[in-house]
Amino acid sequence: MDIPAERTVDARYLEPPQPFVDTMEMLATLQPGEEMLLLLFREPHPLYRVLQQNGHRWRTELRDDGTFAVRITC
Amino acid sequence: MASGMLSFDQVPPLAAPLRFFVTAPLFIALAGLLAVIDGPAILASRWTPAALAATHLLTVGFMLQVMLGALIQVLPVVAGAALARPLWVARVVHPAINLGALALAGGFLWSAPGWLHAAGTLLALALLVFVGAAGSALFRVPSTSPSIRGLKLSLVGLAVVGGSGLFMLLALAGGWSLPLLALADLHAAWGLAGWAGVLLAAVAYVVVPMFQLTPGYAARPAWGFPVFLFAVLLAWSAALAFDADWPARLGRLLLAAGGAAFAVQTLRLQAKRRRARPDTTFRYWQFGLYGALLALAMLAAGALVPALADDPRWTPAFGLVLLLGAFVPLIVGMLAKIVPFLLWLDLQNHGLVGKALPPMNKLLPEAPMQRQFQVFVAAAGLALLAVLLPDWLSRPAGVLLIAAAVWLAVNLLQAAWRHGRQLQQAPA
Repeated sequence: MDIPAERTVDARYLEPPQPFVDTMEMLATLQPGEEMLLLLFREPHPLYRVLQQNGHRWRTELRDDGTFAVRITC
Repeated sequence: MASGMLSFDQVPPLAAPLRFFVTAPLFIALAGLLAVIDGPAILASRWTPAALAATHLLTVGFMLQVMLGALIQVLPVVAGAALARPLWVARVVHPAINLGALALAGGFLWSAPGWLHAAGTLLALALLVFVGAAGSALFRVPSTSPSIRGLKLSLVGLAVVGGSGLFMLLALAGGWSLPLLALADLHAAWGLAGWAGVLLAAVAYVVVPMFQLTPGYAARPAWGFPVFLFAVLLAWSAALAFDADWPARLGRLLLAAGGAAFAVQTLRLQAKRRRARPDTTFRYWQFGLYGALLALAMLAAGALVPALADDPRWTPAFGLVLLLGAFVPLIVGMLAKIVPFLLWLDLQNHGLVGKALPPMNKLLPEAPMQRQFQVFVAAAGLALLAVLLPDWLSRPAGVLLIAAAVWLAVNLLQAAWRHGRQLQQAPA
């Protein structure tokens, strides 16, 4: 199922820590079970750690252009 | 953790990586000092005591030191593979690598078996502890990105270059009869391509888009590049072992082509960056990437026309372009971003917010780093010209190299000092 643009954080040209901050802010607006999409040019391992601690699930796919698309379930 | 603070328990304490970054530039200064003392002799051949000492001051004292320090930080962030005891590892590896690099240079310079034995012991300790700690963290995580695959392969490369280096040290100190020239070629290729080159690419996949705001590295070549380098190195090593001339030359050509493809790809990404103003990191990387292309062109030329190496100036020129023209500037360019980022992150983790939390470019300002870059470029250029005019230029090149290295150390120390001053304002 596609995730709508308003639930996507495209952080591909943002400097740290903006991608992390934007993702946490969007997660705070979601209801349990809702999904969001994070786009980055790297795998966000520190974010994974926080997602795990907060009980979120995620799935990551590496696209041909080098984009890591992280689908996060609130 | 829902507050949006970038603070996670896997990040190692700042003191673990920072000590490596602050002491490493001094080894560039020591290489410059050797050029001042020995003058033209340092460029006479790859095998003079001074040339061997200077090469290892740059590769072990500077490059290896920064890379080990950076990996302590990089492994959790890039691979989710935190060292179990990062501060303990740093406390053992840092003094061992510093004293080991000094003893190694001294051992070459004075042909002293005692110093070579001491260097071998210290460097073996540093590498065993580091490869053990990093390997047990890294090989537990799956290779979900090209960077993780590259990091794993580079660690294997480090074990090969370390093992072959220690073996040669024992042979030198003990006067064993071994084909040292061929072994030295293997050692250098595994060190520069299998360890440093693969590591540089694995880290570049993450930090080039992150800090220079470029597009990402396309996935397929990024997966393939470290494996390609490794496969070529293995085949080339076998060709050397069996004394097979043309396969060995083909191996060098393929290494040059692979490295050049990575450098060109990175230059193309940089051309599409979204940061308008070129900062020091960008300039260092541009310089280093063009330097790498020149060095790889020389590698390819040497493989196609072996007679080029008959000129005694060829190999020292190649080494200078590869080290001072490519690896050292690429690493310094990364330091210029990584050091202020780590200092800034540490301040934030100590609870500094708002005006008390200075932006990264206030911790390590652009202006002195830009001027330091200009001195470095002058030093590297003069060092290369000194191959043609050694009597005239080797000592001035050494003086400029000392100036560039000391300036880099001062800039990094000032950034650490600003961080310390700011930290005093942190809430208890």
